[in-house]
Amino acid sequence: MNQQLNEAPQGWVQHTAAPRTAVPNHAPTLSVKGLTISYQAKRGAVQAVRNVSFEVQRGEALALIGESGSGKTTMGLGMVRLLPSTATVSQGQLLYSRHNAGNGSVTGGAGEIDVLQLKGRDLRQFRWKECAMVFQAALNAFNPVLRISDQFGDTARAHGYLQGKDLAERARQLFELVRLDSERVWRAYPHELSGGMRQRVLIALGLLLEPQLLILDEPTTALDILTQRNIMDVLKELRQRLDFSLIFISHDLSLAAELADRVATMYAGKLVELSDVYTTFKNPVHPYTIGLINAVPTLTAHKDHVASIPGSPPDLIDLPEGCKFHPRCPLATERCREEEPELVPSTDDTHWVACWNWESARAQLNAGQKGASA
Amino acid sequence: MSSGATALRPKKTARELLEKIATNFWLRTIVKKVFIVWVVVTLTFFIIRALPGNPVEIMVMSLMDSGLSSEEAYTRAASLLRIDLNAPLSQQYSDYMSNLLKGDLGDSYVLAINKPVTTLIAQRLPWTLFSVGTSLLISFVIGMFLGTLAAYRRNSLLDHALTNFGAAIESIPNTLTAIVLVLLLGVTWKVVPLNFMRGSLSPGIKPGFTLPFVVDLFKHYAVPGTVYVFSTLGGWMLAMRSSTISTLGDDYVTVARARGLPDLRIITAYVGRNASLPLITSLAISLGFVVGGSILIEFIFVYQGIGLLLSQAIGKRDYPVMQGILLVTTITVIVSTALADLLYGWLDPRIRITGGGE
Repeated sequence: MNQQLNEAPQGWVQHTAAPRTAVPNHAPTLSVKGLTISYQAKRGAVQAVRNVSFEVQRGEALALIGESGSGKTTMGLGMVRLLPSTATVSQGQLLYSRHNAGNGSVTGGAGEIDVLQLKGRDLRQFRWKECAMVFQAALNAFNPVLRISDQFGDTARAHGYLQGKDLAERARQLFELVRLDSERVWRAYPHELSGGMRQRVLIALGLLLEPQLLILDEPTTALDILTQRNIMDVLKELRQRLDFSLIFISHDLSLAAELADRVATMYAGKLVELSDVYTTFKNPVHPYTIGLINAVPTLTAHKDHVASIPGSPPDLIDLPEGCKFHPRCPLATERCREEEPELVPSTDDTHWVACWNWESARAQLNAGQKGASA
Repeated sequence: MSSGATALRPKKTARELLEKIATNFWLRTIVKKVFIVWVVVTLTFFIIRALPGNPVEIMVMSLMDSGLSSEEAYTRAASLLRIDLNAPLSQQYSDYMSNLLKGDLGDSYVLAINKPVTTLIAQRLPWTLFSVGTSLLISFVIGMFLGTLAAYRRNSLLDHALTNFGAAIESIPNTLTAIVLVLLLGVTWKVVPLNFMRGSLSPGIKPGFTLPFVVDLFKHYAVPGTVYVFSTLGGWMLAMRSSTISTLGDDYVTVARARGLPDLRIITAYVGRNASLPLITSLAISLGFVVGGSILIEFIFVYQGIGLLLSQAIGKRDYPVMQGILLVTTITVIVSTALADLLYGWLDPRIRITGGGE
């Protein structure tokens, strides 16, 4: 069954698909360039996302971590163009490229498309078929008056995908992948399923059209610890079996560590550090990331060594001058108060940081942390 | 011993019956509804008799107005109305109830002497059901459409215009609308001939599935129908607007958009269906109040419906006719609320009734 799912998207009706690996294509699946999003509020503009750039490679899992209100969810919604009407994308590009191009996809053959330029039917086709999003509030993600089978049917029909028995069979395979009893789920109404089940149904629905990109926005937040564990196992298994890129939005560092290849840390609407998962957790260089990691209690460390970051996240309407983290930063200098650092390579070109003093931060804070946990 | 056993027996079956009623959903519902009907019937019976004046006195008064002396009027009234109002109230009540159980609503006292009330109601009820029912459906459909439109265009000029218009027409009493329409359309502009605003059919036209009948029916319906639609439209529209706005904020609508569903499918099956759920209940309940809502309008247009009959019956204290119409009203309200429950359960799987209890 796993074979079947991996081989080719057999489901597409209008065309026979080439195997995904056949076309060599080194362009990243998604390339975010200078994305800036703000909300209109009575007091002024809420700068939720400020000049964010990053890339998601094919098959890669990128975790987007940060405190509440750091702009993670806004960015996720921006990627599928579902921002509320009070939000405006003032600048930036969202370049998406499909690897098995010519597949009747919205990219119209080879090459990239700018998701921000999509309109009407093209946008509708892009959503879910190219990029599916599993939402934070999966409990209410399903129309309460339609059966799960109807909601799969709606999704499939909207994209010219399988219908009837073929669709049911495809759904059965997906339910098996997410460890659900398809007999029970297929004909059920949403209210007849538990929270964890609904979350897994939504993940299965997200994979239905074999999107290249799956955005998970805090997929386990509302669930108890055992269900959370279960979902994480399902996600890890799916990553091994299927070929898709993942953006995992979370405030939970341990979940991010478990699932992600690379980690992007967000603070006040800006990426402050971007590196592979190992480096982020072992050798973080941004004082904020270091603070976040030190704030996670470990089994071995004494409880006194669990530190929180003093202060609170800034007001996104009235941001401080210079580096937005400087009021809370133990290493802030005159320069930090006046000039905002850009995200630039630090130790090597895979590890990016937006901090003037990353070198001293690494030296001082990592030393302190290591000393504490030793 | 043996006598004790036989005495226990009926007690046990009575208890079994009660248990059966308590556990079976449908039996329980029916028993409850019948009880409500009985309470209402009893209350109306006594309340209408507590109204000042009785049929004879009212008739005597009107005869005296036409110049008869009080003795003459009494004899005349007594010969016309062969009713005995001197029997004790309890006697009258038990007679009425036993006749009611046989399906006999009694005969009219004054309006159509000795004519069965059931016949009178059967003649008048279809007109009211047609005029108010049709208007209710028209107003409901237009209101849902405009409400959805306003909700989708929230805070636009169109939304403000529709909302204010809805609130304005909702606050104008329908009698006022009726009088203004008669005045403007019939008298000032002379758009609609006045005879189409009087009565429910032109003289000489026989009810049946014939073209002249249907045309004449709608000609007489047009203005009162407009009044009904006008006076209820605002309410439906505002209710649908707020319901749709709250549904649009629901997560499953956002997810449906993320799933790339066509807008039409989202508006109908995702937003519309969920937003209209609370309105469907109010619709069914309003169907029950068809009779009560029609009295004044039918009076203004002399529309030969049951509301007009009720107002005439009240004026002449025709007890059996009043009782009969109020009974019909009660039953329509009860039946339509029961219908609303069923409909709601059918539309919303979350509250679906799964058979007869355990």
